[in-house]
Amino acid sequence: MTDVPLTEFDSQPPAGSTDGGKYVYCIIRSDRQHDFGSIGIGGGQRVMTVAYRDLAAVVSDTPIVIYDPTRENVLAHEFVNETVMREHTVIPMSFGTVFRSDEDVTELLRSTYQAFSDVLDKMQDKIEFGLKVLWDREKVVANLERENDEIRRLKDEISRHTASSTYFARMQLGRLIEGALEEMSTRYVSDIHDALKSVAVASRSNKPIGDRMILNAAFLVDRAQEQAFDECVKDTSRRYEELLTFKYSGPWPPYNFVNIKLKLEKAD
Amino acid sequence: MGLLTNLLFFPVTGPIAGIKWSIGQVQKVVEEELTDDAPVKQELMELQMQLELGDIDDGEYVRREAELMARLREVRAWRERLGKATAGGPVRVSRDSDEA
Repeated sequence: MTDVPLTEFDSQPPAGSTDGGKYVYCIIRSDRQHDFGSIGIGGGQRVMTVAYRDLAAVVSDTPIVIYDPTRENVLAHEFVNETVMREHTVIPMSFGTVFRSDEDVTELLRSTYQAFSDVLDKMQDKIEFGLKVLWDREKVVANLERENDEIRRLKDEISRHTASSTYFARMQLGRLIEGALEEMSTRYVSDIHDALKSVAVASRSNKPIGDRMILNAAFLVDRAQEQAFDECVKDTSRRYEELLTFKYSGPWPPYNFVNIKLKLEKAD
Repeated sequence: MGLLTNLLFFPVTGPIAGIKWSIGQVQKVVEEELTDDAPVKQELMELQMQLELGDIDDGEYVRREAELMARLREVRAWRERLGKATAGGPVRVSRDSDEA
């Protein structure tokens, strides 16, 4: 057996204790113990590793509680992953994952060893960037009214006529504008994807947040291509400076590109 | 809350099948609404976006975040009461997933 003895490293109370829990941030490939410092969730808990063969879970001590996804907690979770990412390829765990003991964490690594290994190989030296693109609807509509002949004509007509005859014209104008907006948004989104395709390994579009967002995407990028990707995003955002706002974030762990369904159950 | 409690916790044993059925439906809808945290999470993401865009200030964010956290806890409490799975809290690997 290649099991690494875990308990000699850690002098936590035995499993079943009310406050001997482990908060798990991510899984990395490593065959030695790490200490990432006192940066953990819940007020700067020490962040360490629990190992099984050549895998390690990055954990900190926690009471057995449910963590609310407040900004403070989410940032703490995120900060640990960012720190670990500087030197490791990571598989991020979902926010708030708490195990009762080191043994339960080891069991996670043991039973999911193959899937974790495969995904770590695939994600080797890859990082994620987030890109949200928003537009100012009013401005885009104003643009449309200036530049789209049909819309302009209909608008002129409405302003010349009386209320009764303009009802349908107004409806038609509304439909025209909606259609044109939809078309523009689709075109922008596909132009942006095309511009970034050559510097990304993969991309994923998520549901836009709020009514101003037209793109909410994640891109998987090779570490070696990080700068190229960065420049490409900046070039693209300059091209649309007048109309679109780019919100660019990262590097993140590959949240959107790892999909391991863990079979977990409540441990009460 | 009284009506809701009746709907949720008193078994319907009335003789009229139609009523039984419709109350069953209502109960299902109410249960789904009470135990769905997706809308709250969506609102949380929108709130974060608003802060990032400067639409709201920090104080406003903190206030509304607290409201949303309270709603999440409520949803969690309902899920527990109704015996549904809840996110968060201690977990372990399911015993039947042993494949080693």
